[in-house]
Amino acid sequence: MNISAKWITTLVLTFSSLALVFVLNPDGQLRILANLLTFAGIYALAAVGLNVHFGLTGLLNFGHASFMGVGAYVTLLLIPHAAGREGEINENGLPFLLALLIGIIAASLFGLLLGLPAMRLRGDYLAIVTIAAAEIFRLLVRDLESITGGVYGIINFSSALQKYRPVFFDEAVISLDLAPAQIWVGLLSWISVFLVLLLLKRLSSSPWGRALRAVREDEDAVRALGKNAVWLKLQSFMLGAGIAGVSGVFLAFNYGFVETTIFIPLLTFYVWAIMILGGVGSLTGPIFGSIIFWAIISETDKIASLIFENADGQQLAGVRFMLVGLLIMLLMIFRPSGLLGKKEELLLNVK
Amino acid sequence: MSNKLLEVKNLKKTFGGLKAVDVEHLSFNKNELTSVIGPNGAGKTTFFDLVSGFQQGDTGEIYFKNKKITKTQPYKISRLGLIRTFQLTKVFDRMTVLENLMFSGSSIKNDSFFQSILNTSSSKKYESDLEERAFEIMQDLNIEKMSESYARELSGGQKKLLELGRSLMKNPDLLLLDEPLAGVNPKLAEDLLEKIKNLSDQGITILMVEHNIEAVMKISERVVVLAEGKVIAEGTPQTVRSNDKVIEAYLGTAHE
Amino acid sequence: MIDQLGNGLLLGIIISVASVALSLLYSVTRIVNFAHGEIIALGAIMTLFFSNPVDSRVIYLDRFSPLGLDFVISAFLAVILCGVFGGLLELILFRPLRKAEVGNIAILVVTIGLSIFIRHLYLIFATGRVQNFPLELERRVTYLFFDMTPRNFRVLIAGIIVMVLIGLLLTFTRIGKAMRAVRDSGELASISGINSDNIILITWISSSMLAGLAGIFQGVINDIRYNMGFLILLLVFAGTVLGGIGTSFGAMVGGLLIGIFVQVSVAFPFMEGHIEAKNAVALGLMIVILLFRPQGIFGQKERIS
Repeated sequence: MNISAKWITTLVLTFSSLALVFVLNPDGQLRILANLLTFAGIYALAAVGLNVHFGLTGLLNFGHASFMGVGAYVTLLLIPHAAGREGEINENGLPFLLALLIGIIAASLFGLLLGLPAMRLRGDYLAIVTIAAAEIFRLLVRDLESITGGVYGIINFSSALQKYRPVFFDEAVISLDLAPAQIWVGLLSWISVFLVLLLLKRLSSSPWGRALRAVREDEDAVRALGKNAVWLKLQSFMLGAGIAGVSGVFLAFNYGFVETTIFIPLLTFYVWAIMILGGVGSLTGPIFGSIIFWAIISETDKIASLIFENADGQQLAGVRFMLVGLLIMLLMIFRPSGLLGKKEELLLNVK
Repeated sequence: MSNKLLEVKNLKKTFGGLKAVDVEHLSFNKNELTSVIGPNGAGKTTFFDLVSGFQQGDTGEIYFKNKKITKTQPYKISRLGLIRTFQLTKVFDRMTVLENLMFSGSSIKNDSFFQSILNTSSSKKYESDLEERAFEIMQDLNIEKMSESYARELSGGQKKLLELGRSLMKNPDLLLLDEPLAGVNPKLAEDLLEKIKNLSDQGITILMVEHNIEAVMKISERVVVLAEGKVIAEGTPQTVRSNDKVIEAYLGTAHE
Repeated sequence: MIDQLGNGLLLGIIISVASVALSLLYSVTRIVNFAHGEIIALGAIMTLFFSNPVDSRVIYLDRFSPLGLDFVISAFLAVILCGVFGGLLELILFRPLRKAEVGNIAILVVTIGLSIFIRHLYLIFATGRVQNFPLELERRVTYLFFDMTPRNFRVLIAGIIVMVLIGLLLTFTRIGKAMRAVRDSGELASISGINSDNIILITWISSSMLAGLAGIFQGVINDIRYNMGFLILLLVFAGTVLGGIGTSFGAMVGGLLIGIFVQVSVAFPFMEGHIEAKNAVALGLMIVILLFRPQGIFGQKERIS
């Protein structure tokens, strides 16, 4: 398939999936669309980060949820919030942007830490280590209730970001009968997606990106040519983790709370599904992958009702996740390059 | 003794009781083209791995340019000017031939994250110089037509050429070639041999492991014969060829 | 502490059996099977399906009428079913992928998709409720130093017997030897007349039967839930990696060690009040071991050459 055909398919699929959402929901179309696009933006950002790890460097990272979690927790704990069973209020805090910056750095450092095992481990071992490390992170956050709020989580932090909403923005959004708070989060995450993509476009065609791709192809050869493959891998881990951190922050703001069940391994697998759908190694792939993915997810109720009469919550969740699992399998088997991945650069036989 | 480029003392490596390498002393002089030969399992590739830092010996010392490089990371050894190739060619499959070469030649500074973000005019200049150098090498190796092909699309022989070219981008002082002719068609093998000879004439010290005895004898100035990890003979091709031990251990079986 | 050791042995035997199964599959096929947990759960769920008494007020699989078979017969049938399931996975999914020369990493991702798919199939058809086998409650009895119920003790003994049997089968039977041959070099094995397709099929079947058995153990000792396999999967990975991935003996010991470590760690002074995080300690141990000894305790450094 040539390049333009790939793009036409992608755009047709993206718009028709959105159109389907419109058709299937006679009421509140705009709200549903706004909701799904907000999630799509946040997850696209996470998938862009994962693409740095896997697409660019070939690192099999299955602990992405923890990078998102570190970013979210560190940022939220630094701004005014309430945490724990008693909802203990902490009114003092840093300005949002400063807290976000520290959150990004923390996520990157966690990436560095998680990358250390990657120094010596082959791909499949790395998959096990990263998913295990992410679970350790989650269990610790749940356990350290006095700091993180444990299972009760963190709430009442939204105003730190929402207070920057301009008045004209509110007026415009309300006139469309939409919730300004969510649109604000969605808008900011899409802006972040584009800023990060601009940065990555520059980086991936640069000597640094070239070096990462070489690491992806053959570490031994990289070493034999006098390059420090370990350090390159760690840099990749840090950059991707930092991007995931931002995504985690927006995810928290979209929910209006955080707690540890958000950052379970399934979150990582969602992001993987989006990355594969968009195309491994494709810069813009995650944008379209994410929109289509969330369009499908938002319509699972309809799909479930085709299978069950009066499906209950469990069945709805079951159908939704089954679809995700099926999507991952079918893509990997029949179209591993996804929508926009390059067939020539397919990561089929990575060792 | 300033002529010594690489010196190996008492180097031993065993795998579960099996002696893979057991070399008392070997040294290699500047500008020499030396071949290491020996039957399968003689420890030739392990010897290369030890010298280039990809494996650690149990005992012994290795000196390169009079500097001890035992227990040094491969990339650090490489930065000293000792560049190796691999028996099973390791090209960067999903990068173009040009990218393979440019990556190799690019300096640490040029590769750095921040330099890459800034993309200053000096780094652009550096990259275009690099590209020019890569094209020179590609022309020299007759692969310039493939510059935009992915490396995995190349034939076995072309991959060997690419690997050689990639090593040359580093301007090596010592080039370790691990079976450069393996899997290469006879016509190309002849060309490749010619290239290697030329490189040696240009002043690059070359150490090569090769199974093709005729080829080895034709171009080597010195031959080292390994069997069961030990050096059983060394000298000019003529002396080695007539050595009884060698005939028994290696040539005899090879000509059966 | 002794109590924890007894609990540790019980958890250890579950993980150990599951780890051997995972390791067996990995060593022959090089597949890191994330859907392993779902086969574990299948063993327990199917046993429950067969054994749930007809007059039970606990209606499990709501949409199916209870069969009320004897527990041991149910367990036996469930293990066979797991084997059939594993065999079908190989025939329908993994063999075609192998023939199409799909890479290991792609297959790993496929197993993740498969895991998510099957697990939520269970959620839909077997419900999300926590269940128990229809077995009578028992009092704990002291065996040597350990207090445990007779039933749990029998599980422990059964687990040990299974381990010994596997060890013997792998070492002395033709199939065991053939498996090792395929593991060491598929190509070489096929030259020497071994049909590696059949060996891989047998490996899938036996690995899945073992996994199912581990699931039944888990159901007896703890309880049954749709995601029980996934909950224990990381510990199974830890056991496999600790012993040295690809060595069956290593996986046995590694699994046992992980189980004991998880339960005993509860008694560590610094763990006071942090019992929920006990799995984190075991997973942390796995990562540390991988950092300093990637080949695990019993694995051999792969010879590079």
